[in-house]
Amino acid sequence: MALDLGMPILVVDDYQTMVRIIRNLLKQLGFEDVDDASDGTGALAKLKQKKYGLVISDWNMEPMTGYELLRHVRADDALRTTPFIMVTAESKTENVIAAKKAGVNNYIVKPFNAQTLKTKIEAVCGA
Amino acid sequence: MAGATTAEAANQALPVTELLEIADYITKLKRGIAGLRAQELTRDRIPMAHDELGSVVAATASATNRIMESAESILALEAKSLEDYRRKVEAHIGDIFEACTFQDITGQRISKVVEALGQLEKRLSQFSTVVNVRDGEAELDPEEARRKARAEKLLLNGPQPKGPATPQDAIDALFS
Repeated sequence: MALDLGMPILVVDDYQTMVRIIRNLLKQLGFEDVDDASDGTGALAKLKQKKYGLVISDWNMEPMTGYELLRHVRADDALRTTPFIMVTAESKTENVIAAKKAGVNNYIVKPFNAQTLKTKIEAVCGA
Repeated sequence: MAGATTAEAANQALPVTELLEIADYITKLKRGIAGLRAQELTRDRIPMAHDELGSVVAATASATNRIMESAESILALEAKSLEDYRRKVEAHIGDIFEACTFQDITGQRISKVVEALGQLEKRLSQFSTVVNVRDGEAELDPEEARRKARAEKLLLNGPQPKGPATPQDAIDALFS
């Protein structure tokens, strides 16, 4: 199954430079419909307004972390199947395992490159 | 009668000894507090560290934006010829090199903060030795306790000192 380049993607990160980097990488991969939010609360509001094909989220944000966002998404009947990739500096095994248990589809440790992001999106969204 | 007088004298001598010990401790405490030079720390060193780190954050953000803008411009370049393309790319690369000069200045700023922290650490260490008080004897600041509890609950470990604690390959294995 080829990637749907028209699918809306939501990038969640409190660091605007990282949002810009991910936006540029997604643009290079051919994705044009990219929105962003600066924490889990803002992301949840956007997720309830628009159907996204993928969420790419940081972990450490205030007031709602990416981990909390993931658990909210998986607990919501309307959102539970939304693919979710965590992109974070949280690299301890306990973080990865907790995210996996909470239902994350893939996990990328910062810093990362375009190829890693592409591989994970392909793995999660089908290629 | 004479025995009773000796006992009374011993009882009276005890508080005097204690008072002398307390006086000695207070003298040491005052010396320790003076050694902290708290006014100098709060008036000069800590605000300086705050300002320097603020400048570092601003300089790195500014440099990152300039580098990102140049990279985005290169990606969007339109040129009439290969030579034109090369000239435009080189101009943007020049901007990137210029933006990278922030590192020298931020390095110097961070060195000043590290030196101030070293001074603070040294004085607190000396003070701690003088007053002979352990951390467990003080209650944790409520705000700090709240932050710590949140970090533990939400697994906010932050970046690890020597790179990722779990390599990407090991993480990939968990998801394969």
